[in-house]
Amino acid sequence: MFKECVETYSFYACDEFYNPSAVSRKSAFVHAKLDEVRRDVLKKLGAVKGSVIFTGGATESNNLAIYGSVKNGDFEYVFSSGEHPSVYNVAKALELEGKKVHFVNLDKDGRVNLSELEKVVNNKTRLINCMLVSNETGAINDIKKIVELKNRLAPKALVHVDAVQGFMKIRFSVEDLGVDMLSFSAHKFHGPKGVGGLYVRSMQLIKNIVEGGGQEFGLRSGTENIPGIMAMQTALSKIDVKENYKHVSKLKEKFNEIVGQESGIKVLDFLGSPYIEVLIFSGVKGETMLHALEEKGVIVGLGSACSAKKAGNRILENIGYNKDEILSSCRVSFNAYMSESEIEEAGKIIAMVYKDMLKRLS
Amino acid sequence: MEERKVLLLKFGELFLKGKNKRDFERLLMDNIRRKLTGYDFSMEYTSGRIVIENYEDIEESVIVEKLKTVFGLIGIAKAVEIDGGYENIKKYVSSIKLSGTFRVSAKRADKRFPLTSVELERNLGEVLLNSNENLKVDLHTPKTILYVEVRFNGKCYIYHENIKCAGGLPLGSGGEALLLLSGGIDSPVAGYLMAKRGLKIQAVHFHSYPYTSEQAKEKVITLARELTDYVDEIKLHIVSFTKIQEQIHMNCDSEYMITIMRRIMMRIAEKICERENLGAIITGESLGQVASQTMQSINVTNSVVSLPVFRPLIAFDKEDIMDIANKIGTYETSILPYEDCCTVFLPKHPVIKPTIKRAEHLEKFLNIDALVKEAIETEEVMLIKG
Repeated sequence: MFKECVETYSFYACDEFYNPSAVSRKSAFVHAKLDEVRRDVLKKLGAVKGSVIFTGGATESNNLAIYGSVKNGDFEYVFSSGEHPSVYNVAKALELEGKKVHFVNLDKDGRVNLSELEKVVNNKTRLINCMLVSNETGAINDIKKIVELKNRLAPKALVHVDAVQGFMKIRFSVEDLGVDMLSFSAHKFHGPKGVGGLYVRSMQLIKNIVEGGGQEFGLRSGTENIPGIMAMQTALSKIDVKENYKHVSKLKEKFNEIVGQESGIKVLDFLGSPYIEVLIFSGVKGETMLHALEEKGVIVGLGSACSAKKAGNRILENIGYNKDEILSSCRVSFNAYMSESEIEEAGKIIAMVYKDMLKRLS
Repeated sequence: MEERKVLLLKFGELFLKGKNKRDFERLLMDNIRRKLTGYDFSMEYTSGRIVIENYEDIEESVIVEKLKTVFGLIGIAKAVEIDGGYENIKKYVSSIKLSGTFRVSAKRADKRFPLTSVELERNLGEVLLNSNENLKVDLHTPKTILYVEVRFNGKCYIYHENIKCAGGLPLGSGGEALLLLSGGIDSPVAGYLMAKRGLKIQAVHFHSYPYTSEQAKEKVITLARELTDYVDEIKLHIVSFTKIQEQIHMNCDSEYMITIMRRIMMRIAEKICERENLGAIITGESLGQVASQTMQSINVTNSVVSLPVFRPLIAFDKEDIMDIANKIGTYETSILPYEDCCTVFLPKHPVIKPTIKRAEHLEKFLNIDALVKEAIETEEVMLIKG
């Protein structure tokens, strides 16, 4: 998190600590600030209309988007198989409740298979869920095409996009994508953890899933996390998406050049976000690499943190990688505040550790 | 061959304006430029059309949405611009994929172009029939109309969809006026409608702290901000009405409370207009909606000012006003349940048919000039931008 966010947090936690829903002048001030952040977020989302509902993070946003869309009756729900657990497991839960749920496989590029999607979307479809950027592979889905497909086959259906790995990292506009709902999380762009939001094209699209005091237009009752939301605004104001993208692309290129020289290391290029990639270390388990690298100060992931503790990798498996490949995979993420020399060093260490591990294992 | 994506903008009544036409067009282009601040694009004028080009693909939808709120524009077309004569046009048209029924609608603004509009329509129709299977001509109710415009800049624009815009006249072309902004449903709509006829808007709000809350004031600021979607920016005058209300309450008949309040509001509004050089007062009054909006009440409140008072909603039903409020996005804010200054000291039986004579008599018990002066001197002014 940016240091400046802590200052903002502290100001709204200790000085301007007022409840935005109360009637005092101070509360009105805080309420006006809250709406200012809402407008800032909408601007960054490239939204002309619609609103943002602040939540306790993207898991909650995803749950609100999906459960909030569920209707009684003969409706069907469509999910990409590449979704994050906070969507995927909701889909599984809907299935258990007896709702008709379709999962659409990924293609070899890690993107939702559009011809398969076309087969399951029809006039009973209530909701289509597809993430913008895969947290596991970095693959970017063609949301515009999905919306086009929806408009053609199920004009009344809603499209919800989990954009946690895309918002403030890659440039997009909700008007351009044409989506109805979009989730994001502040800690993915150097804001505080426990703060996120759901963009809704119109407040009438969904219903609330918790009852309470009616905050956030009745869609998310509970006193707003003002310090966190204000700290998120600070993070928003500090990020230049275009510049960061350029820088991170350069970092990734440099990194791949270095690790790519090692013949046993395979870089899985999903032509997606420069912020995420997958490496496969032939002959060495991903977890072994993770621990060995950790000792040298390089931290990689075993799949995303949210699914790392489970065996295997549902996403890579769906794309078509075999068990050995999956077990020897690691996820690498980049951020805009790393320098080229840091990345070079990390690349060299990875190559070196890999060589060393191969030797020790032979 | 060069072909590129552009936005072709059409404007409405400007052609009526004779010699002032160029000024109107210039103003319209300035307004467009201001509306699209922060986006990369370039703009070209060619008689009868404005062309927006060189923008980023992902920003196209946002730009279109923003342009929909520029008064003076009646339509936008996402078009392809083609340089260099009929052969290039033909080549591009032959690449268009169509099915079902269609017709070509051509407009040759540049008469130097060798083919007439009718010839263009006929020839390009044939090109499309040759390059697409399952395509039939239907002149009356076609599924697709392909528009082809040859403009004076030597370029041709091809498109098939017209996006409707706000219409009206360019903001500022009619001068500037002062809107009485209460916080209810009607006044933002009144402001919107007059802005649509070319008036720039300043607004005045009367608040009665501590009888009304800070939230009521914030609500009005939010409404003003929502209006900036259409009017660029609003200078908002927030006038404290507390003392005036207390004075009326103490000294005048309660049934004339609202009448006298409104007469003082009009006086204050006119003073602000004088100072800010504004040419009219705008209110959201609708005939008969409440006691203060009967013909007799309007006469009594109107009689204290000499500036024109525009009441665009005078003949509107509430339902119709609500429809517009919804369309322009102010409705949700308007219905937030905060007291406004008119509901404080509200008499049980406000007079429905007040007279000027009686109002003038009651006002003798007040030092109106001093009250008006003090209210204006202590006003809070803020510039609201979108």
